[in-house]
Amino acid sequence: MQQKAREIPTGMGKLPAVAPLANPFVPFQVDNPEQYEANLGLVRGTLYPGLDLPFMGMVNKKPLPQSPMAELQALGFAVQELALYLDTHRDDAEALELYRRYQQLLRDKRQEYVRKCGPLSHRDQTTAPEYLWLNDPWPWEFSGNKEE
Amino acid sequence: MFSYEKKLQYPVKIKNPNPNLAKIILTQYGGPDGELGASLRYLSQRYSMPFDELKGLLTDIGTEELGHLEMIGAIVHQLTRNLKGNQMKDPAFAPYFVDHTAGVYPASAAGTPWSAATMAVKGDPITDLVEDMAAEQKARTTYDNILRISDDPDVNDVIKFLREREVVHFQRFGEAVQLLRDKLNQKNVYYMNPAIDI
Repeated sequence: MQQKAREIPTGMGKLPAVAPLANPFVPFQVDNPEQYEANLGLVRGTLYPGLDLPFMGMVNKKPLPQSPMAELQALGFAVQELALYLDTHRDDAEALELYRRYQQLLRDKRQEYVRKCGPLSHRDQTTAPEYLWLNDPWPWEFSGNKEE
Repeated sequence: MFSYEKKLQYPVKIKNPNPNLAKIILTQYGGPDGELGASLRYLSQRYSMPFDELKGLLTDIGTEELGHLEMIGAIVHQLTRNLKGNQMKDPAFAPYFVDHTAGVYPASAAGTPWSAATMAVKGDPITDLVEDMAAEQKARTTYDNILRISDDPDVNDVIKFLREREVVHFQRFGEAVQLLRDKLNQKNVYYMNPAIDI
């Protein structure tokens, strides 16, 4: 049993010799890490293969539904994931560039969505004669996520 | 300020109602390591954070946790829709049903109402960030345990997503501690409280 434990690779989590003791230590994710594309990122729950650590090999393989909402969710997720990364890596120019590219894609997709499916927030102006905000379904409902 | 977006972060579409499973999942709504505590913990701790990166990270992760709270609420709601008589009487679900019907109430799986005593705001950035790292691991373990119990693939896909977010958040909080230490010099780590002394 002990023999087996020693074979487990320790990966990159090595404590540098100069690290002060009695302090929690988590190594920084390296700059401009490898990424999944946005759809796969949303399915896996992270944009980063290096952080994708499923429980007992239970990998989420279910593809996203083909819907304008799912496209919006994937792009929104990419922006959120990159935002958290940039919060602790503010000088990573390549990640900043990718964040801005996804922001642009999200903006375009969001406008298209609002035009076709109705407002996502009270800031979305629509031109229909009626008040669209109250239209079903709401996101938490079984028929939600406006897949139709 | 906060404004509502009429969308979930990740799709939730549960075909088969299952109130017993709903009661298990509910613990991530209002249990000791659930999403309500997570969002309130981070959004409350951010006020005493001394550096921009820390203020930004706690705001962004705290806001994401509110989205996770909504996803857990959606799972519980969909698992308790169209209840039949025998489901209401099921001894595992009846005690919840009698108090809350099919409403979504923040409580643990064992029925304890959500309490701020399950989270901390100590007002010292090292202390708070280390609490946050522990909180992410406690939530990950809870999701691991849900994956052991639940055999509904519609539920488990969402749970796997939420569990992976805990892994990513843990990494970011760990990096936040490193950033904080880089901004202090090695001599004044633990020498004072950076929230009020610099």
